[in-house]
Amino acid sequence: MSRQVETIAVAPGIGLVPRREVVAGPIDAWFPLAPGDRAFVSVGQAVVRGAPLAERLREPRTVVVAGPGARDPDRPGDRWTPPGTTAGAAQAGDRAEVPAGELLFRAGGRWRIAAADSSEPLDAPFPGIVREVRDGIGIKLQSPAKGILGTEVLAGPTSGRLHIVTGPDGELRASQVDVGASGAILVAGARIDAEALTRARAVGVRGVIVAALGIKERHDFLASERRGRAGVHGLPPFGILVLDGASRRPIASPVMALLEALEGRVVAIVGEPPCLVVDDPDLELPQPRPDLVRVRSGPLAGAEGTWLGLAGPRRFPAGVTLEAGLVRFGERAPIAVPLGDLERFA
Amino acid sequence: MLAGRIATADPELAEAVGLRVDSIDDLPRLEARSEPPRTLAVLGASRRAVGLVEAIAARTSWRVLPASPETHDPREMTELALRAEVSALLLGASEPPGPDERSALDDMTALVAAVARRRPELQIVLAGPIASRSAWIDGIGESSDAMAARIHEAPPLKLRSGPDEPLRDLLERLLPRTNETRTSAVRTVVTLADVLGRRIELVEIGLDGGLRALATPGVADQGPVAVAVRSARAGLIDLDPEQGTVDSVLAWTTGSLDRHRMGDRLRDLRANPWADASGDGARLRLAAARAALSRLVALTPELSAMPAPDLTIAAGGIFTLAPGQAVALAIADVIRRAGATQLAIDHARLLGPLGTIEDPDERRPFLADLADDLLAPLGTVIVIGGIPQVRRRGASVGTISLDGDGPAVAHELMAGDLAFLDLQPGDRALATLVFRDVVRIGRRTRRVSVPVSGGTAGVLVDLRDVPLRLPDRRDRRRAALAAWGELVWPGEST
Repeated sequence: MSRQVETIAVAPGIGLVPRREVVAGPIDAWFPLAPGDRAFVSVGQAVVRGAPLAERLREPRTVVVAGPGARDPDRPGDRWTPPGTTAGAAQAGDRAEVPAGELLFRAGGRWRIAAADSSEPLDAPFPGIVREVRDGIGIKLQSPAKGILGTEVLAGPTSGRLHIVTGPDGELRASQVDVGASGAILVAGARIDAEALTRARAVGVRGVIVAALGIKERHDFLASERRGRAGVHGLPPFGILVLDGASRRPIASPVMALLEALEGRVVAIVGEPPCLVVDDPDLELPQPRPDLVRVRSGPLAGAEGTWLGLAGPRRFPAGVTLEAGLVRFGERAPIAVPLGDLERFA
Repeated sequence: MLAGRIATADPELAEAVGLRVDSIDDLPRLEARSEPPRTLAVLGASRRAVGLVEAIAARTSWRVLPASPETHDPREMTELALRAEVSALLLGASEPPGPDERSALDDMTALVAAVARRRPELQIVLAGPIASRSAWIDGIGESSDAMAARIHEAPPLKLRSGPDEPLRDLLERLLPRTNETRTSAVRTVVTLADVLGRRIELVEIGLDGGLRALATPGVADQGPVAVAVRSARAGLIDLDPEQGTVDSVLAWTTGSLDRHRMGDRLRDLRANPWADASGDGARLRLAAARAALSRLVALTPELSAMPAPDLTIAAGGIFTLAPGQAVALAIADVIRRAGATQLAIDHARLLGPLGTIEDPDERRPFLADLADDLLAPLGTVIVIGGIPQVRRRGASVGTISLDGDGPAVAHELMAGDLAFLDLQPGDRALATLVFRDVVRIGRRTRRVSVPVSGGTAGVLVDLRDVPLRLPDRRDRRRAALAAWGELVWPGEST
C-alpha cells in the first residue's frame, strides 16, 4: 500500500479483469427534492459544511386552496402562503389553518398545493458550489473533493467523524454501539444487523459504512426510518453506505486502507453518487497493489490474492466453461478463478 | 487475447485479414450496445385507464412507472413526474372518457400541464382527447407554442384490446436514435430470415430489457417482415429485485433459499451480471432467465399464437455461458408451442452489431457469408401437445427414431417426459415420431417426420403439458424441476 508498489511487475492479462473504481473526484452530488420542499440556495452560491440547502417537508400532503395567496402566484412551483401572512414569511409548521406550500396545479379554479405541518432542514454535508437548483426536483452541489465509491446509500445525506469499530470482516453488534459514537460515521465491517442499526440511530451515530447489507436488514431499516420520520421530533441525519452488495463479504483491503487513512477526519455520505466524500482534494490516499485481485462473487467471495496470469478457458462446476485467471491466495497453490468473478483495483 | 488466439490457431487466416495483436484498433468495426431503459411516468384518471396504457407502454423499451388517483395523491403524482430520472410522461384517456375517468380527468390534465411547464426537457404524450380540454389549455397558458415540439398526441385508449402499434411506435420514436442492440438485432434477424428462407424467432434477455421478434422471409414481391416487441419489463432482474423478481425466480428454483437470501443473491447478480456464472450461480442465472422469459412471453401473446418457427435464436449473456442442454430446457420450459424448432445461440453476440449496417442490401451478403458461423447450434426442440389424459403419468405414448448420417436411434416416449437424444453439432437427421393417439405437433397427427439438426443439446423431445402446468405445492414443484434439472446439469444433482 505505498507508492513504491507501482514498480511491481504484473503478470500479463490482468487488463481483462474488471477494474473497480474506488476513488472518484471531483464530486457532483445530487440532493433530490420533492414538491413542497424549499431550496435556500441559488446557482453559483458557495456553501460551507452544515449550511442549509433546503427545507424538506415531513409527511407532506395535498391541500386544495382557493388561491391566490399572499403574493398572487400563478405558476406551478411557486411558493404559496396563506392570505394575510407576509409573503415568504410563513414556514411549514406555522400554526396557520392551511400551511404554506408549493403550487402544484390549478384545476376547477382552485390550486392544489403540497404542504406539511412540519419540516426538517437539509444541510450541506460538505462544502461546495451550488451548480443547479430545481424546485421540487433537486439541488446539485459540486466540490473538488474526493469520494470513495460504494454501490448504494440508504437515507442520508449525512456527515461526521469517521471511526473504525471493527475489522474488514467483522460484524457490528448492537452491544458494541454506545453513546461515545454519537456524531460519528462508523465503519462496521462485513455486515450489520437491523438491531445494531436501530441502536446506532438511537445513540446519535450519523452514519454506517458496511461491505454488505442484506435485504432483510434493508427492509427493517427503511421501515424504522419511515416510522421515525413520521414521529413528532423527526430524525437527525443518518446514512448507510453499502460498499459491495447484499451477500456478506469483508471490506476490500484497498478500501479498508483508505478508510484507515481517513479515520478521525470529518467525512460525508451522499446518495448520488453513492460515496463517502472526503473534503480534501489534495489528500494523498494509499494506492492498491497492481497485482491485487479480489473475488467478488461465488464460493470464494471476498478472498484476495495475487494475479499470476491467464489460465485460458476452464470448466467449472455445473459444466460451465469460462475464461479464467490464475490467482494465488496466501501461501496456497494457485487456483483458476473465472475472470468474471474477479475484480482489480489498480 | 482473442486476436492472439486467432493468430496462433490460424496464422494464415490472421495474415489474410490483417489481424495482429498490436493493430486491433485499426480494424473496421460495427458497434451496438444495449442502453439502460429510460423512465416513462404513465398517468391516467383511473386505475383502469392506467392499466390500459401501462399494458401498451410495457411493450416498449421504456421502464414504466404507473400512477392514478386511486394509487397516488396529486402531490405524489407530481413528485413522480418531476423525478430527475423520468424522461417522458404519458397521460392516457378513453374517448369519450369512461365514467371512472370523468371526475379526475381535468385534475390529471392540469397536473400534466403543470409538470410540462416546470420541466422543459420532458417529452409529453397525450393519448386521447386531452389537448382540447380547457384544463390543458389553461394549464399550459402562454407557453403552448414553446411546448409544441415536445407534446405528442396519440390515439385514445380502447376499452377492449386493439392495435397498440401507433402508441408503441410513438413511444419508441421518443427514445434517442442510437445503435441500440435490440433495435439493430431485429434488422439482422429479418435479413437472416430472408437469406436462409426460414421463419426465425429471436428471444433476447438482457440485464435491462428483453426482445422477442419473429421474422418471416419475403415471398414474391413482398419483402421479409418481422413482428417485434422490446420490453424493459423483460430484463433479467428489476432495479429493485424485491419488488418484482424474487418470487418469480424462486418459482423456478429447486434450492432452499428463502425470499431474503434470494433477494440478496439477485441484488448481487444485478450488480455483477457476469459474475457467479458457475455452480449454483449458473442455475440461479437460468432460473432468473426463465422468470424474465415468462414476463416476455406474457407480454407477447400475438407471437405465442403463431406457429413454431423453423429456427429459434436465444440471445443475451445469460444464455451464452450456460450448458447447451440447460439452455434448451429453459427455453422449452417457457416458450410452449407444439411443433419442432431448431435452437441456436447468438454466442458471439453479433446480431446487434450486424444490424447497424443500415442498408439491407449491404447487410445481406454479410449474413450470407457468416450464416454458418454466426450462431452456435444447440439442437432441435420438439414439443408435443395434446397428449390424451389417459396416456399421462409415465405411460408410453409412442416412439421417436432418428435416421441420419450416423446409426439410427430409436427411443420410447413417455407421457410427461423429457428426452434428450444425442445428435452432434452439424449433423442432420430425419426424426420420425409415431404415437398411439392423435397429438399436436404443429398439426394433429399420429405420425410425423420432421428434419432435425444437432447441437450441444442434441434433440429435445418434450412431452410435458402445453402450456406447462407445474404443481402448486412448493415441494412437488421443486421435485419436478429438480427431476428435469438432473437431465441437463452435468455431474451434479440440482
